[in-house]
Amino acid sequence: MTTIHLEHLVKRFGPFTALKTMDLTIADGEFVALLGPSGCGKSTTMNMIAGMERPSEGRILFGDRDMAGVPMGQRGVGFVFQNYAIFTHMTVRQNLSYGLRATRRPADEVTRRTNAMADLLQLTPMLDRPAAGLSVNILQRVAIGRSAVMEPAIFLLDEPLSNVDAAFRAVMRTELKQLQRTFRQTMVYVTHDQLEAMTMADRIAVMDHGVLQQVGTPLEIYNNPDNLFVARFIGSPGMNLLPGRPVAVSGGLAIDLGALGVTPVLGPEQAAAAGRAKGPVIYGFRPEQAAIVAPGQGMAMPINFVERIGARTILHLGQGQDAAKVVFENDAGFEPGKMLHFAPLPPTVRLFDAASGTALKGV
Amino acid sequence: MKDDAAKLGFRLTLPAQVLVLFISVFPLLMQLYISLTDWSPLSGLSWTAAWEMWNNFANYADLVSDDRLWAALGRTALVMSICVPIEFLLGLGLATLFMDDFPGKRVAYSILIMPMMVVPAVAGYMFFMLFQSGGPVNDIASALTGGPVTLPWLSDPTLALVAVMAADIWQWTPLMFLILLAGMVGVPEDQIRAATLLGAGPLRRFATIVLPRMKTVIGIALAIRVIECFKIFDTLFIMTGGGPGVATETISVYIYKIATQDLIWGYVAAIALAILIVLSIACVWALKRMARK
Repeated sequence: MTTIHLEHLVKRFGPFTALKTMDLTIADGEFVALLGPSGCGKSTTMNMIAGMERPSEGRILFGDRDMAGVPMGQRGVGFVFQNYAIFTHMTVRQNLSYGLRATRRPADEVTRRTNAMADLLQLTPMLDRPAAGLSVNILQRVAIGRSAVMEPAIFLLDEPLSNVDAAFRAVMRTELKQLQRTFRQTMVYVTHDQLEAMTMADRIAVMDHGVLQQVGTPLEIYNNPDNLFVARFIGSPGMNLLPGRPVAVSGGLAIDLGALGVTPVLGPEQAAAAGRAKGPVIYGFRPEQAAIVAPGQGMAMPINFVERIGARTILHLGQGQDAAKVVFENDAGFEPGKMLHFAPLPPTVRLFDAASGTALKGV
Repeated sequence: MKDDAAKLGFRLTLPAQVLVLFISVFPLLMQLYISLTDWSPLSGLSWTAAWEMWNNFANYADLVSDDRLWAALGRTALVMSICVPIEFLLGLGLATLFMDDFPGKRVAYSILIMPMMVVPAVAGYMFFMLFQSGGPVNDIASALTGGPVTLPWLSDPTLALVAVMAADIWQWTPLMFLILLAGMVGVPEDQIRAATLLGAGPLRRFATIVLPRMKTVIGIALAIRVIECFKIFDTLFIMTGGGPGVATETISVYIYKIATQDLIWGYVAAIALAILIVLSIACVWALKRMARK
């Protein structure tokens, strides 16, 4: 178990900069997800932690130890590949014991630790089966067990669920989280799937275009996105973002959304944030955090399209720059073409500076 | 209805089927027929009348006690058992080298596979020239050792065998290299990385990941070279003609000699057929073994 410090980490591939100055500290035993779209630099970061790539600048420390020049075989890092990289020409037992045998542990220790790991992961019945042809959830456990048996201080997982179909992913997520609780290792998990990150990670590091956008617990990231990218990327659908300017109305401050009219009066925290705005702002609210109100009381937008997915109903409102989505848990007879009168819940509204895209904080 | 259509189709293609069968089987039947007689082109009889010289399997009886045949077979086996492993190890080493990047890799690659494309007869003349007692091999050896080296490469029985094998290794290591490189490129990078992360050093990675993953390719490469090496003829024949004496007389050279000089065609047919049968059985056995793995 170890803390990981990434200090001013930069990675360039020729003229292309894959990672621009990353600073991140991952605590001992913490489960951190690196989340972002393809090409955001999350895998590059992971590969540098594992030692597969050399940083162009900056340092990686495990505890107090600088990892520069430590080859990947000696970092004490467990790595689960996207495709699991199971040695399919070996049995499950040979896979699990590979690391122990490679590091020349005594035979009785190899047997003991392999059996213990197989027991823990419920792999004992298939220990002597060839690894080729096993189902994907067993392969995942073999891949994790093969690394875990070495008792690495750090566990790195590279999109381990991306090759699995959606129904199965839920099962595997639970299984992975339980395994992490069992091993209590520092875990870094790379994914582009926010659901995986939100459900499993202690903290999420959101990345885009080689830049770390925000680090925080899943709820912090969901509730208080630092910038427009995080606001849009997290949540499904993402946060609604409507351009406007602060205006004084009776009862306090509100945001004038132009053609869409004026928003309901801002809460005290939001009003304080709006007070700091130096120009146009972006009015943000979560699709899930709006309520239907009587005509004339809140905002009014035409319903374009109704998406019903059983438990929830997603309404697509407006068009172009003035588009928004709202989500309701019940279907109150929504019909395309009608006007929807709704109001975002004031405490959940977030404001962003339109020029820089960063969040305006009230406190 | 369907049956009728199938029958009609069979009947319509029957002439073609017979022709194909005839073309592929006739030479073998002819060989079997001749091998059971004492017939030779000097006998004055047409091959159709060869049955008049029927000899009650005497050719096959002779074959068992033909010392020169067994010596030739032994020599072929010796060449095979030295050349193929050396070609394999060199090819494997070169393939490993070419997995990493180094300056001049593309040029080195082109130069390396060139010997394979030289016509074997031409390669034979090249090595015939190289191994003359006043030729480049001896001259370079002289320059390196400082003293005069005048080894009679092609006229000493042992040295002639070495020279012939050197030519075979020179010409066919590239093929081995090419096949093995293709196999090595096919080993998934992630597997090697996974093994590295688990603490395996280069040698262990090679032995436990790379080699087992290349098993099929290695099998194919070895099979191709074993079969080809068994038939070694052109390069060797031009270099030594099977000599001095019978020192480099392999099975192909032996058959060539008794067919063109002794003209005992019945016996030649018997030898060729016997070898064909033994090789076929060996091949089927080897292929079955490979398929099972």
